[in-house]
Parts: sequence; C-alpha cells; structure tokens
Amino acid sequence: MFKNNYLKSWLVIFLCLVLVLGFFTLNCLAAEKVKAGFIYVGPIGDLGWSNAHEQARLVLEKTYPWLETVYVEAVPEGEVEGVIDRLINQDNVDIVVTTSFGFMDGTLNAALRYPAKIFFHCSGFKRAPNLATYMADFHQVYYLDGLIAGALTKTNKIGYVGAFPIPEVKRHIDAFTLGVRRVNPKAEVNVRWINAWYNPQAAKEAAESLISEKIDVLAFTEDSQTIVQVADKYGLPSFGHYSPMYKYAPDHIASGQLVHWEVIYLDFFAKVYAGFYNNKNLQNVDYWWLMKEKAVELGADFGMPINSVYQEQLKNFVIEDSFFGKISVFDLVAKLQKEMADPEYTFSPFTGPIYDRQGKLRVPAGVRLSMEELITIEWAAEGVVGPWPGEPEK
Amino acid sequence: MDLEFWIVTTLNRALAYGTPILLATLGEIYAERSGVLNLGVEGMMILGAFFAFCTTFFTANPWLGVLIGALVAGLASLLHAFLSITLRVNQIISGLALTMLGLGISGTLGRGWEGKILESTIASVEIDYLSKIPILGPILFTNQNSLVHLSILIAFGLWFLLFKTRIGISIRAVGENPAAADVMGINVWKIRYLCVFLGGLLAGLAGSYLSVAYQPAWASGMTAGMGWLAVALTIFAFWNPLLGMVGAFLFGALYHLSFRLQNWVAPEILNSLPYLFPIVVLIIVARFASKKRIGAPAVLGQPYKRGE
Repeated sequence: MFKNNYLKSWLVIFLCLVLVLGFFTLNCLAAEKVKAGFIYVGPIGDLGWSNAHEQARLVLEKTYPWLETVYVEAVPEGEVEGVIDRLINQDNVDIVVTTSFGFMDGTLNAALRYPAKIFFHCSGFKRAPNLATYMADFHQVYYLDGLIAGALTKTNKIGYVGAFPIPEVKRHIDAFTLGVRRVNPKAEVNVRWINAWYNPQAAKEAAESLISEKIDVLAFTEDSQTIVQVADKYGLPSFGHYSPMYKYAPDHIASGQLVHWEVIYLDFFAKVYAGFYNNKNLQNVDYWWLMKEKAVELGADFGMPINSVYQEQLKNFVIEDSFFGKISVFDLVAKLQKEMADPEYTFSPFTGPIYDRQGKLRVPAGVRLSMEELITIEWAAEGVVGPWPGEPEK
Repeated sequence: MDLEFWIVTTLNRALAYGTPILLATLGEIYAERSGVLNLGVEGMMILGAFFAFCTTFFTANPWLGVLIGALVAGLASLLHAFLSITLRVNQIISGLALTMLGLGISGTLGRGWEGKILESTIASVEIDYLSKIPILGPILFTNQNSLVHLSILIAFGLWFLLFKTRIGISIRAVGENPAAADVMGINVWKIRYLCVFLGGLLAGLAGSYLSVAYQPAWASGMTAGMGWLAVALTIFAFWNPLLGMVGAFLFGALYHLSFRLQNWVAPEILNSLPYLFPIVVLIIVARFASKKRIGAPAVLGQPYKRGE
C-alpha cells in the first residue's frame, strides 16, 4: 500500500514536470508568432459592419501562418478600454484592432498606456506613435449607385434610409445624390433617419413610410438586409450595403456597396511583421482606401457590378452628359468606375462646381474636395429632401 | 397630399406594426387579471420569434412555425407560473428572470441564424373584393397579413370571454379576491396557471409574427422592447382587451409617423415620441383614476395561499 502511494506521488510529480515543460515549449513556439486582437462594436452575425471586419479577419488568419487572432464582439463603445486591457494582459496580444468610430478615445488612451503595443483604429482621426488609423470609404461607390438609381426611378423620388446624421453618412448620401442628379436632374432623394446602426424594425418602417410617399428606388445605411427585403416585397430596385445581399432579392437588387477590409489588413500586418511599421512610427499612418486600392467594390455581390435584370434598362437610358456627351447610363457607370479605379484617380465625385440644397456654392468649379473636407462634410447636396440635422446655416 | 391618403397609409402600417404589441398585451391582460404579474413578456416573445423562425426554416411551413413558437413561449411561461403560483416567489423577480433567460437562450442559440432566408413565409395578402371597401378596404385588406386579422378577432374574443362569460367572472374574481373565489369553489391555481399559459402562447404568437410574417428574418434581440411596451400598455388599457387594441394600434401609428413626419419635425424628437406616450398615459392613470374604477386587479402580484 505504502509503496503504491510512493509510486503515485512520483508519477504526479513527473506529470507536473511534463506539463510545465510542455507549456514552456509551447510558449517559446508562440513567441515567434504575432498575435492580434480584434474588437467589434456589433455582433459578428449582423450583415453589416462588424461582419465585414470578421470576414476580413478570417482571410487574414488564413493568409498569414505567423499570425494568430482573437476577437471580442458586441463591445459597447464606452467599455473598449477594459476589453483592450484584457486582450493585452490576459491574451497577450501584440496588435489591437478597434473597429468603431466610438472606440477612438478609448483606443488612444490605451495606446498611451501600452507604448510597446501597436494599435489600429478604424474610421477615427486621432493617432499616436503606436496608433494608426484606417478607413475604406464608400463615397465613390455610392456615386455610381446614384447614377443607376437616377436611371431606374420612374416617379423621380428615391428613398434613402440613413443610420445617424453624421459626416460619414452625409458624405455617402451627398455622393449618391450627386450621382442621381447627373443622370436625372429632376429626381430627388428623400432621406429618413432611424438613429441606429442596427435596428431592422426601424429600417423596415422607415422604408414602408418612404414607399407610402411614392418613392420607387431604395438605398440605405443600416447593418441588416431588411430594406433589400422590403423593396423586394414591393418589386422595387434597391442597393445592398456592406455585405453581398444579392441572395435576398435576386430579381430586384440593382447593385450596392461592398467592402474588402482584408486588403487594408493584409497590407498593414505585413508591414508590421516586416518591421516597416513599429510602435514608434505610426503617427502619420492613415489608410484612406478607395476603389483604386480595391478596398471597396460596386455590386450586389462580388464580381457583379450591376444585376443583369437591370442592365437592359440602363443601356437604353441614354443621357446628354456634360463630359462624355451622348452616353447610356450603363456605359457611364463603367467609364467612371474605371476612372476611379485608375492609379491616377482621374475622377472624383466631389469635383466642383457643386451647390448645396440651399443654393450655396460648396465646391468651386474645377476644385476637388480633399480628404479632410470629405470627412467633416455637413452640407446637403442639391436634390436631397428631408431632415438634415446639423445642416450649416446659409 | 390629401388627408384620406395619409390616414389610410398610416392606419395600414399601424395595424402591421401594432399587431405583435397587441398580442403580447392581450396575454399580459389575462395574466394580470388573474392576479399574476408577468414581466417575462419580452423573453417569451423572443423565444417564440426564434423557434418560429427555426421551425419554418427546417419545415418550410410558416404556420407550423407559428404553432411551435407559441408553444415554446407557452412552456416558458409555465416556468414563471410554477415559480410564482406554486412556489409563491416574488413575481417581479421571477418575471425579470424569464425575460433575461429568453433573451439569453435565443441570443446563444441564434448565433449563425442571422441573415438566413426562409423559403416560405406568411405573406401579406390583398383580398380582392374586401379591399374595394372605401377607407376600410385599403387599411385592413391591402398588403396586410392574415395574422393581423386573426389578432383582431382574438382581441374581440378575449374581451367577450373576460366580460360576458362565467369563465371571465371566475378569472376576474381570482384577481380581485382569491380567498373568496376559493370559497366559491373556483380553482384559483388552475385559473392562474391557465391565464399565465395563455399569456405565454400569445407572447409567442407575437414573436412568431415578427420573425416569419412581419419581417421574415432572425435578428438577436429583435423584439426590441416590445414586450416591455406590452406591460405598460396593459395598464394603459385598464386591463381591457379592446382598449389594449386601441393602445397597440395607436403606438403603431405613432411609430409609423415618427418616420413619416421627419420632413417637418426633428427625427430625434419623433423617434422618442412613441415611447413618451406610455409614460404620459401612466402619469395620467396614476393622477386621475382611482385603482378600483379602472380595473386594476386588487391582488396583482400577490401570491395566494389558502387560509391566509
């Protein structure tokens, strides 16, 4: 009996040693890896913003064998600092990626507190030596969608359901409206706000109320497929947002905005791994990637810029364009898409002369709005109808 | 735009959006009339919504989905019934627990269900000959779901049952004075269990309407506070099914108008308007109406124990 116990305790000690050594070797192996933590504001199940980032994270992890990633979803904007603390202290991450504008100050605070770590914040404007920012912006894609919408409307009333009246959404509605007016100067864009990024019911009722007002094309900024489905129910063309939404209305979705966050992530992480970016030189690193970097794409699904259902109609809709002369909207979309994807970036939707809806000249002829001006835009383009909180005085 | 068009389109949407609130309110009215306060409406609704969606997804039969959704929520309500009627625990805590449980379970199971497409749903219908009736036709029978019609019928039926039948008298007696009702030979426990179960079924029906008829999709937390609104509307309705219908559709109209009127009134104010209205009503109820006259059950929230 005694001998048996004696053996047992030796066995236990031996096993403990194996475990400790095992963990030690595992740790050594892991040290060669880079570990990144992603923080999402929404649930990854939504079909919008957070889901798009999650898809990109999966691509990233698959592409780089040296990279290990973890994520935390549905983080309230005020609690981001605590989550960062946890990722760094418990999960030992080297790079923290925060993917919401509201995480900006929390990320900056954490960046100052952990100078040895690297931070990457989406859609903000505050940076530090170890904090870079990035954004894939849709305004070019929205402009192309606007061209299509302007050609598809018969009532000359287009509906737009917006999330929050902030510069980002206003910029997109302005770009959309500028596109609409280029091909159809009589059309107007009716805007309704739901004051939420994700609220399917509000999106649905906002769309229904617009349809009551006789609009016949729908675009939106909200993180679900709701509006595409409502439009489908009434047989109206709509534009998907963030994720491929073709499958929800194959007969009626015209096009939409798609994002490729992975393009930005792949670039940034490779540069960090190569030592090109480190915790000392990120003060001026700001990705503002558009069509030419292939960070955004026009379409209801990847590789499908315009739904074939509407191609005929767009080819038959011929306008007298001030730049191209007589041209069909289908060709116009293709031409401008090509110009914006061009490395020289030969066309910008925000090229003057542009007037706001109060008649004030906002962009003088021949001038192109800078990125700074675009990210702080507040005015409503000519053709926008409806409430516009924060509209500048005339 | 002319007034008739405004009224018709607003009421049409008021019915569509107010229906789940109406169903949940009717259920809560019955539970409370029998003396049981159930704050678990939100949780039961979301369970109903989720299970209706799943069932419809697998079987492609939305009506079976509605049935399962209602039954699951009904079963969940029995948990509250057991805790509050048999074990006599605090009804507020038990109800809150049910809400949290429902939201938690549906949220966990619902992962990966967002964005799924249902093959068949309960579609809105246009009833040809009925939709030609002036005013009422376009409100009730154009682009309206058959569950909307069903819930209006249920409201009338439950009003009749509560105020015009012996069963209704028994239910109200149990909520007013369970000891006296017990002496009269009414089975207090049975009545309360049945009323709470009915409340669960109706809450589940409300949730099912949301996920397979109103907007056929699953989204975690999709009931978005409708269950809480039902609890508030129960008081607004003075525990009367017909007034409950008025309240639910009034809320639906306000919700629709909160988008419709944005051209004239700031959206932030409008978006909060529908929720301001129950508060105002509660203040009025508290200020002007005495408890007896408006139909509040005398023993609401109090467990019954024979001989006390």
